[in-house]
Amino acid sequence: MATEQQEHLKIEQLRHHSADELEHIEGREKENLEGWIPALATDAEIREALEKAFDYRGDITITRKDGSKVEGYLFDRRSGASLNDSFVRVIPSAAREKVNIAYTDIAALAFTGRDTAAGKTFEAWVKKYWEKKAAGEKNIQIEPEKLD
Amino acid sequence: MAVPVSQAWTVATYVLKQKLTGRKRYPLVLMLEPLFRCNLACAGCGKIQYPAHILKQDLSPEECFRAVEECGVPMVSIPGGEPLLHPQMPEIVAGLVARKKYVYMCTNALLLKEKLHLFKPSKYLSFSVHVDGQREHHDFSVCREGGYDIAMEGVRAAVAAGFRVTTNTTLFDGADPNSVRAHFDELMAAGVESMMVSPGYTYDKAPDQNHFLGKAKSRRMFRAILSNRKKSWQFNTHPLFSEFLMGKQNFECTPWGMPTFSIFGWQKPCYLLQDGYADTFKELMETTEWENYGAKSGNPRCANCMVHSGHEASAVDYAFSSLKGFLITAKKFVLPSTYEDADAMKLLNEWKPEHSGPLVQIQASSNATDDQLQTVSGD
Repeated sequence: MATEQQEHLKIEQLRHHSADELEHIEGREKENLEGWIPALATDAEIREALEKAFDYRGDITITRKDGSKVEGYLFDRRSGASLNDSFVRVIPSAAREKVNIAYTDIAALAFTGRDTAAGKTFEAWVKKYWEKKAAGEKNIQIEPEKLD
Repeated sequence: MAVPVSQAWTVATYVLKQKLTGRKRYPLVLMLEPLFRCNLACAGCGKIQYPAHILKQDLSPEECFRAVEECGVPMVSIPGGEPLLHPQMPEIVAGLVARKKYVYMCTNALLLKEKLHLFKPSKYLSFSVHVDGQREHHDFSVCREGGYDIAMEGVRAAVAAGFRVTTNTTLFDGADPNSVRAHFDELMAAGVESMMVSPGYTYDKAPDQNHFLGKAKSRRMFRAILSNRKKSWQFNTHPLFSEFLMGKQNFECTPWGMPTFSIFGWQKPCYLLQDGYADTFKELMETTEWENYGAKSGNPRCANCMVHSGHEASAVDYAFSSLKGFLITAKKFVLPSTYEDADAMKLLNEWKPEHSGPLVQIQASSNATDDQLQTVSGD
């Protein structure tokens, strides 16, 4: 579930107008989470950090309380009534398996991978387009990133 | 609605069976996402932003078949990513056709012409080509000059080879209804069987966060586009969904109507929102808190959604939920309306395009900083 902070532009807009009346709907402000190492001192901090990790489109690294580390994409979380019955699900960067990690086993979390949804603003693409156009380039495009 | 009679019959008997067995929540179309990687990086897409090790993964044909059998739908839509990048896509499609599932293979068609020989024409298979408007609008939308010409070349090649070809047009803020109507003419002239048009969704991971249509503008725009329609235009959307877009019907979302399966599992709650994953279809249906979704729920992420994956199933369900709904729907199929509407024509004639010219339109609104510029994908 997205946090209020993540959705606040839309929530603010909907506080003042009915969705049925809107000509244009607000998007979302991007949070800069890359490189973040959240404090996991309280239950609330753990839940919030893992919620943000679920929302994050880059790899994360989890250090378990036994010292082992899992680096990969956190694609799901199951938030139970207590931390004991809550867990995250990760696809490690070097395997296809799905790994479950209980919230109570997590000692540390770091947003170590590049945020693949960050920095690709449309405005930036438009500016780049015009620079390329001015330089006489043809068939200008945003290409998907290389995977190797 | 231009679909083969056999398909309409299959879907109708399937829905009737669900109703007769008292099943309250049933899926209609499986949105099967066998991969996330794509050969385009469209501004309005929030589907393809993942780490490379995720983008490299594919669902196997067996995983695809298992998902289809698990949920038991009569129709399968294969979006992505770009399905034609999947090395076993012909095998997946052939397996689904052998199971007598009606398959809509969604593609940007950049690879369609060269891969066409890997598929066999069938009444069960339709290439659903995403073309987001006339040449300049499509190229603008997919952030690629020349994309339209390649896609249309693919469309023509597929039509010539005897395939069913449908199209899917997604509209964002700034779309010009007059241009969309001209686009429909172009598509029908190219020989497509039928077309679908839908407003874009506010993906929170989409690069462009500033061009999402609100409901008021969506309804006005679709009323301008879909009223006074030409008899030559064939649509493959349910007529009541078309009326929903035009503001003539009001449907709540049916998020379970078009469930999504990908390498992560069954997506909660729908094709558009990612609130987690279930390992089985049964688990998806039983553990998703469905009351938290749809405009009525107050969920801000559902506030402006009018997308077909959430609402077309509602139109179908309405048609089979009462005699009145059935009769209204039957009439619309037998005697399709052109929706003559003088006010809509006035609206269309007075519509001021916000943009014009090939990609030139966006220069004025560009205010990127140098920092932003350095992080543009692929540059």
